[in-house]
Amino acid sequence: MVGNAVFRVEGLRKSFGRNEVLGGISLELHSGEVTVLMGANGAGKSTLVKIISGVYERGGGAMTLAGQDFAPNTPAEAIRAGVVTVHQNINDGVVADLDVATNLTLDRLSGRGAPTIFNPARVRREAKAVADRMGLAIDLKARVSDLSLADRQMVAIARALAHQPKVLILDEPTSSLSSAEADRLFALVDRLRGQGVAILYISHRMSDIRRLADRIVSMRDGIVSGVFDSKPLDYEGAVNAMLGRKIHLDRIVARSSAKAVLTVEGLRIAQGARPISMTLGDGEVVAITGLVGVGKTALAETLFGVRKPFAGTMTMDGKPYAPRSAGDAIAAGVFLVAKDRATSGIVGGFNIERNISLPFLKRMSGLNVIKRRLERATARRQIEELGVVCRSEKDEMSALSGGNQQKVMVARWMAQDARLFVLDEPFQGVDISARRDIAAKLRASANGRATLLFVTEIDEALETADRILVMSEHTIVGEHRNADVDMDRLLAEVAGGPLHSAA
Amino acid sequence: MTLRDYAIRYGFIVLLFGLVAYFAIAADGFVSPQSAVFIFQSVAITGVLALGVTATLVVGGFDLSIGSVATSAMMASAYVMVVLEQNAFVAVIVCLLIGAIVGLINGWLIVYMRVPDLLATLGMMFLLVGLQRIPTEGRSIATGMTMPDGSVANGKFSDAFLALGRHRFDFFIPNLIPVSVVVLLVLALLIWFFLEYTRFGRMMYAVGSNERAAELAGAPVKAYKIWAYIISGVFASIGGILLAARLGRGDIASGNNLLLDAVAAALIGYAVLGAAKPNAFGTAVGALFVGILLQGLTMMNAPYYTQDFVKGVVLVVALVFTFALSGRGRR
Amino acid sequence: MNITRRVLGKVALALAGASMLMQVPAFAADKPAPFDKPGVKIALVRYLSTGDFFQAYLSGVEAQSKALGIDLRVLDSRQDAALQSDMVDQAIALGVQGIIIQHGLTESMKDAAQRAVDAGIKVVAFDVNVENPKIPQIEQSDKDLARLALEQAVKDNGDSWNAGYVYVAGIAPLDRRNETWVDVKKQHSGIKEVAMFGTLDNPIANSVANQARSVLSAHPDINVMFAPYDEFAKGVKIAVDEAGLNKKIKIYSADISTSDISAMREPDSAWAATAATNPAVVGQVSVRALAQLLAGEDPGHNVIVPPTLITQKELIEKDIKNMEDLSAKLPQFAHADVAMPAWMPNPNAK
Repeated sequence: MVGNAVFRVEGLRKSFGRNEVLGGISLELHSGEVTVLMGANGAGKSTLVKIISGVYERGGGAMTLAGQDFAPNTPAEAIRAGVVTVHQNINDGVVADLDVATNLTLDRLSGRGAPTIFNPARVRREAKAVADRMGLAIDLKARVSDLSLADRQMVAIARALAHQPKVLILDEPTSSLSSAEADRLFALVDRLRGQGVAILYISHRMSDIRRLADRIVSMRDGIVSGVFDSKPLDYEGAVNAMLGRKIHLDRIVARSSAKAVLTVEGLRIAQGARPISMTLGDGEVVAITGLVGVGKTALAETLFGVRKPFAGTMTMDGKPYAPRSAGDAIAAGVFLVAKDRATSGIVGGFNIERNISLPFLKRMSGLNVIKRRLERATARRQIEELGVVCRSEKDEMSALSGGNQQKVMVARWMAQDARLFVLDEPFQGVDISARRDIAAKLRASANGRATLLFVTEIDEALETADRILVMSEHTIVGEHRNADVDMDRLLAEVAGGPLHSAA
Repeated sequence: MTLRDYAIRYGFIVLLFGLVAYFAIAADGFVSPQSAVFIFQSVAITGVLALGVTATLVVGGFDLSIGSVATSAMMASAYVMVVLEQNAFVAVIVCLLIGAIVGLINGWLIVYMRVPDLLATLGMMFLLVGLQRIPTEGRSIATGMTMPDGSVANGKFSDAFLALGRHRFDFFIPNLIPVSVVVLLVLALLIWFFLEYTRFGRMMYAVGSNERAAELAGAPVKAYKIWAYIISGVFASIGGILLAARLGRGDIASGNNLLLDAVAAALIGYAVLGAAKPNAFGTAVGALFVGILLQGLTMMNAPYYTQDFVKGVVLVVALVFTFALSGRGRR
Repeated sequence: MNITRRVLGKVALALAGASMLMQVPAFAADKPAPFDKPGVKIALVRYLSTGDFFQAYLSGVEAQSKALGIDLRVLDSRQDAALQSDMVDQAIALGVQGIIIQHGLTESMKDAAQRAVDAGIKVVAFDVNVENPKIPQIEQSDKDLARLALEQAVKDNGDSWNAGYVYVAGIAPLDRRNETWVDVKKQHSGIKEVAMFGTLDNPIANSVANQARSVLSAHPDINVMFAPYDEFAKGVKIAVDEAGLNKKIKIYSADISTSDISAMREPDSAWAATAATNPAVVGQVSVRALAQLLAGEDPGHNVIVPPTLITQKELIEKDIKNMEDLSAKLPQFAHADVAMPAWMPNPNAK
């Protein structure tokens, strides 16, 4: 098997400034095989894909395609050589306002040798050939904007395949598909595998991986941390290699709580998902961990009232809690530091001070007029509390580093006392020192409220939480007290192991 | 602060003073209290409209219907007084209601029907241009006019209403400041205070800058957007009332020039004090800027098309100030 | 037998018409074909339609059409030159016998008018020169309008004064009025044009008022304002009132409407006189000229509707409050004896 690699990457390196993203990656892809590439956020997956697909220039190392040196300078060169990439954002792969047939043949409409006159009949004929080859059952006359996401994805892939590639890279293709839609995609991947295409499939979803993988390559911190190709595949080992295990510098003294703040019973956050039940106690810091796409954000948003649960009840301090909006949740003392601060947290037009006061303007106003002195004092206090590095509270958010921006987001919601403080991926894009600062602050101030963190990285959970819950497939599958964590069991749960192998 | 920062912050104000100085030298009679008051008066109506549209710009929207809301309010006030023979108070209330209802419909279309703001308000503009003509079959309204059914309308513009356009308050000099200028200044102060100092105004800016963040901070985003259009509609109808009071009749007009001047004022306002965002103070200064330019140019016998040209130049320069120099233009 | 049936039919129609119009259309009078039978189809193809003038013009066209038993179609292009040209073709397709082209651009309407003539349709044009010898041009004499107003100005103020002049070049009627103004200035060396301004930004009166205020402060020596379009005059009057100069300045204008009348009648109004053609009469004349063509008569190539001078004094003395009073109390304004062969019904006759 090792001998017939159609595509080979050796010692690939890439740095952005002083920041080394890829530290010598070696990888082989074989014809008629699906190689799954796993890696946490920031592991360097997308950089690798961009180098292979000709978007970035490599920093070092070599690539060969069918024994020939492969060094594309542009995406078009890569495609011509036979390496085709379908990027994560589906809409980058299709032109929404054109019909399916035109989309499938779009690449032949431009470039040298393309006929000047647009001949609809010829386009439809060529498109039909492409569609048949793939077993694509979509009305070729339909406009892409009228198609479902899955169909668009199919069109994007079909369009890529019109080039008859040797290597196909699929970057998280199921991230926005339902499970039925994903099944269609898998059937297509099977078909391509049968046709002898070498496929690099990038995903976090264990169900995808179990269904498709012939080999798994795990990446972590810019290097390959594990290759698994002996059947049966060691999925837990792959997850393990992807998430890694570090020695924790700050051992947590896990606390237990007697007094329940929030009780969740029978909560269903997705159609057909198993119900979630949990209790969060006063003074306790709980982390929910799990891979991307297992419903962590959905659960956070449900607690915060911006997403309606399918079933189940919540109780806060003994009283029923059923928020219908973020406003309701805030009024009840439930605060959320949302995931992805740039789109859901930071108000770009506002400076630090105004970003901090945003949710609590009502409480900072008299007769609806903002008490500016109070606003400033609050901002200064919070900047001090969290150690935000800035010149003054009047600084623009754009002037701050990612870590400091995140500190401002946390400071915003710590300006008032919460009953339940939810943080969704609070350490995303945050440097290590800011992460430590935030975690320490959360623990130090934990009394008087329940604190709930959603993190993908297990390390982050181990560093901050008293208790760790594991999520998989939109439900909670495991619970660990952060004292003597059985890492093997935890990783198995993250990987969706024995507990849910059928689901 | 670097020189560039100073240029961005004070450039436009300096330009404004430079302009005044130039006209003071070049045009006889430009410098006088009357002349100053007159500049305010000439921009009062578009200024009021511009303040209203500022509210929609703040929430990241736009309102193309303000011009036709103003002329519809003008027609409505004339209709109420001349045809229905009601008093000034009723006329004013009807106008304000029209403005509020149009704003509400605009907001509803944009927020709940998901029609893009430009398209929704464009549709509303056409709708109103037509609607204002229906009751009189396209005739302008004046006392003694013949109605479509042949009867003669005997009502007249009440004196109290006309006073809105014609009365002048004493201010050092007797009979100096017209009501419309007072209305402009009061509304400018109100909306400035509202946007800068109240939590509602603050939230509107948050909605305009990052809707999702505002929503996750507990703001009822939809309500804020709808209110912005209601403010815009009501301000436009106030502009229409002032217009009717000045003209003393209900004049068929699309109000497109009012719209364009008002939007220009609001956009020029982005550049004032380097705000790079819609703001009430900037809008007021922007309106004044245009008023001073037109006053000076007219006094120097410049024909109307050069005035449009100059207006355009000012707008383009202001937009460059906002978007290129300050480097944080967002809209 | 034949005759009896025709007469009976006419009587029946006359009765029906009477119940509708409260006046007996003169079908009984011997009118030439095709007006011996009602139902002649004509089209009015308009370029401009908003504003009182155009509304009144339309009412004149309608009144005369009713009096002649004409089936009138109104096609309104709303200042879209290309559309107006297409509308002529639409009218041809509708099978009309006559077309009135009301305003428009020579460039766009010349060919369209020719197509209508080629299709055997009779055409008259109002206020747009379609450069066609077969098409009578209906005109309100803009030169006469300006002349009447300026003669009154000279009569009131002598032949030496400082004038502010409101003018926007490129608008045909204003250009024609301007020619007269240029002539008058030549003839009277004492008349000085101190300032010229003008704009068509709507609402026009409001925009002109803003300009006029600036002009008045720049040129306090102005004592006469010549604003040969009533929207201009209204704006100037607002500015004059706001500047408190209404006793010092006199305004002379062209055109008239009900609201103009009330503005002129205000105490101490600066608006001294205006010259106007009754737009309703122009509308009637347009239809009459077309009817003459259809009946095989020649209305002449230039059908000119004479203007009337209306002074503030007259309005007050005769207690004229609106357009109806004006028509009733100034007979020369209500009816023009133009294109009036003996068989032509007069829609104003009571």
